[in-house]
Amino acid sequence: MYNPIDTEASLLAGLAKGNRKATEAIYKQHIRPIKSWIGQHGGGEDDVEDIFQEAMVVLYEKAQKDDFRLSCKIGTYLFAICKHLWYKKLQKDQKAPDILSTDAGMDDEKDWAYEDDLNVHTERETHYQLLNDAMEQLGEPCSSLLKAFYHDDKSMQEIAAAFGYTNPDNAKTQKYKCLTRLRKIFYGAKAKW
Amino acid sequence: MIGQDFNNWDLAEAYVANTLSASELANLHNRLSSEPEFATDFNECVSMLLSLDHSKKQKQFRNMLVQIHHESETKSSNWRVRTIPLRTHYLRTGAIAAGIAILTTLSTFSIVSHNEKKRSSQYSLLRRELETIKRSQSALIKNINETATTPVTPANYSGTGVALSNDGYFVTNYHVVAGADSIYIQRKDGHYYKAVLSTFDEKSDVAILKVEDKNFKIGKGELPYSFATSKKPLGSKVFTLGYPQDEIVYNEGYISAKNGYLGDSLQYRLELPASPGQSGAPVTDNNGNIIALVTGKESESEGTTYAVGAKAIVKLISNSDLNLKLPQSNKLGRMGREQQIQSMEQYTCSVKVYKK
Repeated sequence: MYNPIDTEASLLAGLAKGNRKATEAIYKQHIRPIKSWIGQHGGGEDDVEDIFQEAMVVLYEKAQKDDFRLSCKIGTYLFAICKHLWYKKLQKDQKAPDILSTDAGMDDEKDWAYEDDLNVHTERETHYQLLNDAMEQLGEPCSSLLKAFYHDDKSMQEIAAAFGYTNPDNAKTQKYKCLTRLRKIFYGAKAKW
Repeated sequence: MIGQDFNNWDLAEAYVANTLSASELANLHNRLSSEPEFATDFNECVSMLLSLDHSKKQKQFRNMLVQIHHESETKSSNWRVRTIPLRTHYLRTGAIAAGIAILTTLSTFSIVSHNEKKRSSQYSLLRRELETIKRSQSALIKNINETATTPVTPANYSGTGVALSNDGYFVTNYHVVAGADSIYIQRKDGHYYKAVLSTFDEKSDVAILKVEDKNFKIGKGELPYSFATSKKPLGSKVFTLGYPQDEIVYNEGYISAKNGYLGDSLQYRLELPASPGQSGAPVTDNNGNIIALVTGKESESEGTTYAVGAKAIVKLISNSDLNLKLPQSNKLGRMGREQQIQSMEQYTCSVKVYKK
């Protein structure tokens, strides 16, 4: 029976929007082979969770792009990314710099075509990390206020109430003040490097 | 300047949220092209807001993944919890049970503290002293004919080693080869090869040996097994192959504690029968990952064995300058146990050590 909800394109569209159903479908459909593969390569349950979730994030971010298209099946893509992430982890643990280039990709040449995606991912994660670090340096109340808005998804009304501002507009002005400071720290720190 | 004018943040936020009307957007584009200073400021603000927005969405997505994971976990282990109310007429029984529990706890405690004192003598290493063991003459003659390096007198000690590569690197326990005058690797088919100690770590009790013969090759292609450095859960079934006698011996058991002797976190504690000669024997899980090397056992309780985790091997290699890459995948995962053993047998060797 043909079910349009289950086509890969619509699943990916749902994933891009952060739709729970689509994400869950992809998650449950594809974790099993990765579980057994990581098991065969020296990993445990926790490793499977870490690696697979990271791969899902990579796919999610990739799906955000306007020109997004996947040149293979979702399962193939996730599997390749997981393999890559796992070898990277092994490499990091073992501190041996040349594992990836020589032995690792032996089983399937084309698995390594996604290196670029992972590099983009690593760069983005570093960028977010720097932004978070900058937010930590802001001091109070800015740090908590911005975190409430950008991490905990609180509305300006809720923030106004929680931080004791008389109305949402005052809270908003405070938020802009904080953003101005954040910008100074973030781009200032970046300029130094 | 946007820094002072919060209206510009308003504008940037609306721009990011895509809520500007067509005329407002046209206005903005005009300003951006005519005021370069404003444009740089504005772009920087927009890119920061976009990053904040994105990282917020990604965080939500990650949280959702964690939720999905936990839900699928609880579903797969579908335990139904039943609560049994404790009625008054059970109280008598309950009280007796509690009394017994206290007694048992106390007596267990006394056994434990009693044992604690003798701890140091309880750990025995599993290398084998060989003086008394005679080997068959025919094997000896066979060896003399085939390799010039055959030792003439029987070895003093023996342990077990397993291949780390197919060109002559082996790993065993350091205590097997400590103070050796010469070391030989004996393969399952009886052939001897002279080996040297490449590197070792006395604390974790791991040593890496290298066969001197440059043409030495073991097996075809890559090793069939891999090494698992993260700790396996309690109760994982494991098996081991070793040389407590001249013939290879198979044993199986399970992980009984994640830490080894006196809480050594590099070790596992196993319920696995082991005898002298099995020091350095590979401990393998069902998937064909070597997780540890048999190291010692508790001398007072039968069947409790300690094994140093594969992490110590990996650490030793990465701290050394050996050109040694461990296999990243294994071919044993889908095999039955008999086939796994057959495959691992040829990579598991006896380590013979001579001391004056």
